Amino acid sequence: MTEKQKELLRNLVPIFTLLILVFGIAAYEPGFLRPANLITVTADTMTLFLMASGATLVIMLGSIDLSIQAIASMTSCIVAAMLPIFGGTALLFALAAGATAGVLSGLVVNYLRIPSFVATLAIGGIMTSVAFWASDERSIYISDADKSAWLNWATGTTGGMDNEVLVGLAVLAGLSAILSLTRFGRLVRAVGSQERAVVASGINVNRVKFLAFVISGFMAGLAGLVMAARLGSGSPTLASEFLLPAIACIIVGGTAITGGVGSIWKTFVGALIIAVVRIGMTFVGVTVFAQQIVFGLVLVLAVAMTIDRTKVAVVK
Amino acid sequence: MASINLRALAPIGVFFLLCFVIAVFSPNFLSVSNAIRILNASAIPVVLVMGATFVILMGSIDLSVEGIVALCAVVTASLVLNDTTGANLGLWAVPFAVLAGGLIGAVNGATHVYLKVPSFMVTLGIGFVCLGIATAALGGFPVRISDRGFRALTLGRSLGLPNGIWVAAASVFVALIIQERTRLGRYVYAIGTDEITARQSGVPVERTRVLVFVLAGLFSGLAGAMAAAQLGQGHALIASGRLFTTITAVVVGGTALSGGVGSVLNSVVGVLIVVVLTNGMVLMGVPPFVQQGVQGFLIIVAVSLALDRRQLEVVK
Repeated sequence: MTEKQKELLRNLVPIFTLLILVFGIAAYEPGFLRPANLITVTADTMTLFLMASGATLVIMLGSIDLSIQAIASMTSCIVAAMLPIFGGTALLFALAAGATAGVLSGLVVNYLRIPSFVATLAIGGIMTSVAFWASDERSIYISDADKSAWLNWATGTTGGMDNEVLVGLAVLAGLSAILSLTRFGRLVRAVGSQERAVVASGINVNRVKFLAFVISGFMAGLAGLVMAARLGSGSPTLASEFLLPAIACIIVGGTAITGGVGSIWKTFVGALIIAVVRIGMTFVGVTVFAQQIVFGLVLVLAVAMTIDRTKVAVVK
Repeated sequence: MASINLRALAPIGVFFLLCFVIAVFSPNFLSVSNAIRILNASAIPVVLVMGATFVILMGSIDLSVEGIVALCAVVTASLVLNDTTGANLGLWAVPFAVLAGGLIGAVNGATHVYLKVPSFMVTLGIGFVCLGIATAALGGFPVRISDRGFRALTLGRSLGLPNGIWVAAASVFVALIIQERTRLGRYVYAIGTDEITARQSGVPVERTRVLVFVLAGLFSGLAGAMAAAQLGQGHALIASGRLFTTITAVVVGGTALSGGVGSVLNSVVGVLIVVVLTNGMVLMGVPPFVQQGVQGFLIIVAVSLALDRRQLEVVK
């Protein structure tokens, strides 16, 4: 098989997996294929996709971001606490806080030379403390008035389409454009494939990594806003359960944790696969509690299948 | 050589400085009862770092600590006299919990080594699987222990000290023997320093790596039994926060994440630093949710001080 055929196969496998899963469920429950239902499923999946979208760039670098769930929880608290006082400005504060968390991770990885999984684990811990502080250690209710005034962009509908889906598609288009049209996007792939070569070409690798972490933090922050809008509240543990599925959907979509290979649409497909698997498990009668077991195994297996072993001499 | 000695002694200096500062602000800190309280709170973290140190000495990481501890606590609670199952094994439940931990460690190690998946990814996935099993097995409810004799494992006293402290001391003794007096211990340092050279010199790298993850699982299993005895119950969230404390303690103690440098005794000092800091913050009236942030900050400071940057060309 040539490289090109391999590439094609790698692109097609996630899509076919998704289609097979969808039709598998439709065989049990024909109503599943109704457009209204498919839109609802997609809308429900968008918070997961938003969380994973920015982190995809980090994983394409060959790094990882383990702070996204903490960042999302934090921004949900910030927005819920600040909406009654500052109105719409609270959204900007929350997004800025998410991006700031990414800035911190980027600085720690670049200048203290700490591996990203520890750096982001630590930054995630700090963000959790910030979330507890911002929320006074409880979950904060968002009033309906504030919700309809400031969060309608996330939970309302436009022309019959749920706004979550539109936000998700906008992010998909925006990040895809950044990845394929800009110098930064090309460098993300380059750093992921051959960091030393990029360094030797005289390119500032730190700037690329920094920007990727900032985008990851920003998108996780946005995911926190949408989550808060959907649930009508913010809480310091709102997104705790989302780290595993978020990383799983990046990997299941076909982005390799060794870096270099991947794209945002793959994560979009991966998120839908995770959502459909979850629905399928509920159909088959797997309890909500046991779903974590399946996702944990899926994560390990998907990593084992997508990883590029020629790239790492020593697996630590 | 002088700089190496300095690096090994620095954590002890930090420990005494910390004690001094807290004692100035809060004289209650220096009482015998508070010292025993600190040692008692250190017992479970010390057992956990015994395993984690070996893993980190190899340059790998174990993120499944919370999952294994929770699952083994549930196993323990279900095997002693309790309100859910009919078992009544008493203290004989402990070896089962330890074995269960070792088994999960073996799964971690085998997946990591034979599927060549990086350890942080394997242990992240398997950790979630364990949490899922612990949750699903109980349907989200806790198992309450009614066996007072079993709870003496941590709550009873021998020679004036709580038994948990003695269990922790025995674990340190065992780990120290493994580190100093066995081939396994020497292989761990060899692999952590330079895996390729170690392999060429005939070190059985694969077997050693699996064994070290088994060892970490055994210690986590013991910690799970201790947690069950301490809290009188077993449930899926019993270990939340343990992973963070464990990694903080190991790196604050001076063991480098890059592998090869450090020791189990360093990690004991690391645990004492973390526990004294927590204790001091409580005495000084700092809200408990700040602790995770402080620990996150400590991880970053300690890792950046301990890293040997000459070895690092590429930081992922």
